[in-house]
Amino acid sequence: MDLVPLLVSLLYQGLTIAAFLILCSIGLMIILGMMNIINLAHGEIMMIGAYVSTILVSSGLPFFATLPVCFIVGCLTGYLIEQLFIRHLYDRLLSALVVTWGLGLILAQGTLLIFGPFMPSIEIPFGSIQYGDFTFSVYQIFLVAVAFGTLLGLHILFHKTPIGLKTRATMQLPEVARTIGIDQHLMYSLTFSFGSGLAAFAGGVLAPTTTIAPFMGTQFVAPAFITVVVGGAHNIITGTLYSATALTAVKTPVGMFLGAFAGTVGLFVAALILIRLCPNGLSSIKVFRTR
Amino acid sequence: MNIIDENPRIREQNTKIENESEESSDNPSSDSRREFIKASTVASVALAMPAIITSDFASAQSGGPVKIGHLEDLSGNLAVYGLQKDHAAQLAVAEINAGLTLKGGPIGSGGVGVFGSTATQPPLMGTGSGDLNYLDDGGDRSNETVAYVEDDEILVESGDDGILGRPVELLNLDGQSNNNIWQQLTRKLIQGDKVDCLVAGFTSAEREAIRPIVDQFNQLYIYTNQYEGGVADANTFCTGAICEQQVIPVVDYMVKKFGPRIYTIAADYNFGQLTAAWTKATAPLVGGEIIEEEFVPLEVSNFSTSIARIQAAKPDWIFTLLVGSNQSNYYPQAAAAGLEYPMASTVNMAQGYEHRRFSTPSLNRMHNCVNYIEEIPTKRNRDFVKRWYEMFPDDPYIGQMAQNTYFSVHLYAKAARLAGTTEQEAVKRALETGMTIEAPEGAVFMEPATHHAGHCIRLAVADENHHVSFLREWPMITPWWLQRMGVNLVGKKEYKQYIPDEDPYFTMFSN
Repeated sequence: MDLVPLLVSLLYQGLTIAAFLILCSIGLMIILGMMNIINLAHGEIMMIGAYVSTILVSSGLPFFATLPVCFIVGCLTGYLIEQLFIRHLYDRLLSALVVTWGLGLILAQGTLLIFGPFMPSIEIPFGSIQYGDFTFSVYQIFLVAVAFGTLLGLHILFHKTPIGLKTRATMQLPEVARTIGIDQHLMYSLTFSFGSGLAAFAGGVLAPTTTIAPFMGTQFVAPAFITVVVGGAHNIITGTLYSATALTAVKTPVGMFLGAFAGTVGLFVAALILIRLCPNGLSSIKVFRTR
Repeated sequence: MNIIDENPRIREQNTKIENESEESSDNPSSDSRREFIKASTVASVALAMPAIITSDFASAQSGGPVKIGHLEDLSGNLAVYGLQKDHAAQLAVAEINAGLTLKGGPIGSGGVGVFGSTATQPPLMGTGSGDLNYLDDGGDRSNETVAYVEDDEILVESGDDGILGRPVELLNLDGQSNNNIWQQLTRKLIQGDKVDCLVAGFTSAEREAIRPIVDQFNQLYIYTNQYEGGVADANTFCTGAICEQQVIPVVDYMVKKFGPRIYTIAADYNFGQLTAAWTKATAPLVGGEIIEEEFVPLEVSNFSTSIARIQAAKPDWIFTLLVGSNQSNYYPQAAAAGLEYPMASTVNMAQGYEHRRFSTPSLNRMHNCVNYIEEIPTKRNRDFVKRWYEMFPDDPYIGQMAQNTYFSVHLYAKAARLAGTTEQEAVKRALETGMTIEAPEGAVFMEPATHHAGHCIRLAVADENHHVSFLREWPMITPWWLQRMGVNLVGKKEYKQYIPDEDPYFTMFSN
């Protein structure tokens, strides 16, 4: 086996796994980082996104046109959940945890009752390219661009716009933010809706690579939580980025040379060590701090 | 009141007559007798009509409805399989309650079909010479085709009203793809509901989670899934296909057709590990070799690393033993990455209908030796499929384990009628009499010594449009491995699962 194609394959695998982790975790990270709410219905909101895109594709819409719809439906769902439940649960971390968990169950079971155990999947767009012994899915490369593009967009949103400034102010010192006239509840509603919208968008964009089933959310939740915990909520964007990179850097080579089981174990061991070394997450390490 | 008093007796009489008809229902010469019995059934049912009003009284006399406990995953990662099995049980129970049964008895009617090339004429004795020992071959072979018997309807009158005159009640619960819940619900069904028969289990992990409870109460238990084999349990009857029926034929075919280098990618739990062990043991027998085995945890849903590993290993074909909805993601992801190896499996396609769910050509050249798949073209199966979709018009597919559950519930009913009681030990003895049941797949033989089923096995393949066709057929493959291990549950009760490590066979031919 030639070395160069192998390295290219490892890079491709690493980037696609990192993209998967980023897409899974970004919505969860925003809600946790901004509002200190652990949203256990995160996987189900991603599932809703996947269902929206699948249903629209099967009714004739082109796949890429469905993605904005996923985002909007996610935002609306998030807004509804925030208005009905979450706003009564601020500062009650555990209550919010239980409520969102129950919501997740209801959403998944409801989907099973309405749409049955499976939906026909969307065809993966684009096809593949070959290099050496390896072939690469163009859509996975597209996902890498989407994941890192989303992070870049969030960076601009949070650090270069007035609304981003207000959001960060609310996140850091809510009382002070209130005194300068920022409506804290409005910021929370917006954040929860936006986080849910991103989760649904991620579900939609990942939909072609996955089984469309009511309980598909569970496959995203574990990677999402590991990424979020390792990254820490100190800085949403760098946290997600460093965490996804660090975990992938361990998982990819171990998985490639020792198999999927060892790769999964490697990921968990890496997460364990990283959490032990920096309990507040990678984004809290001084050298990584961007602000 | 007189009529009411007489009623149970009429029913009993009725049942006795029908038991006779049951045993001989495959014999065409009994047609007239059957007609007579049918007429007498109608008459006695008419006589028994007032019993409906007093059904409480009647059931108190006969012990209430026959309870079949059915536990499958109706939600969670495995719901796609559980829902099919649940519907299968409902269909079978509805048929039993409507007085219908699948044909069968001490020996099946046989003769389902063959695949091959056709001769232009039927072979003749002694053509062209006076030598009657000479049989001509019917002329030149023409096109390759499927020839199968358009056999009689296999669903016939049972002559019974439910089971032994008692209605059948299906208690179907949801195991939620969670082994702890499986154990709780099994206890509830056995201790709380006191079911007469338990039909349950998709994964081997679920089965092994509840089997100790089953054995604690000596509960009659039917496990209807295809699995890795090896369960020798006096209380358990395994009606799904096992490795010697599925792995060996498909590995043999694949090695000859595509080459010896096999890459196994399997779900990381007892089913995947043990089926992979079978593959490893039997590959050398047919000239194949396992170049790589990869076990994937059930949670894994991103396969880019596995796909790269396969490409680095360059196999001739891939043996996929992937389970659950997360792992089905492998197929679209592999197709998108341009992976075009032929594939074989014992589970995929026939269970999770991946060929219907995923866009073409993700399942192109997928081979599977199945005991059942919805596409089997025989009349008996077409009828079964029709009956199914009449009852469940919105269902997406009928998988092999759904068919197993369907005939297993009917098999239980036949055994209870043969035993003349629903007393569980007696029904277990009846199931050990070498019964054959005519299932939609073909004749299924319940092998008494090992409590496993002999199946009609077909090699199914999907093309690039995901159309299924059949390459080979084995009308009856006996479950032989437990016999090789000396298991005879009729003579000696056991309650364990044998694993390949216990048998030198599995290392005998490895390099």
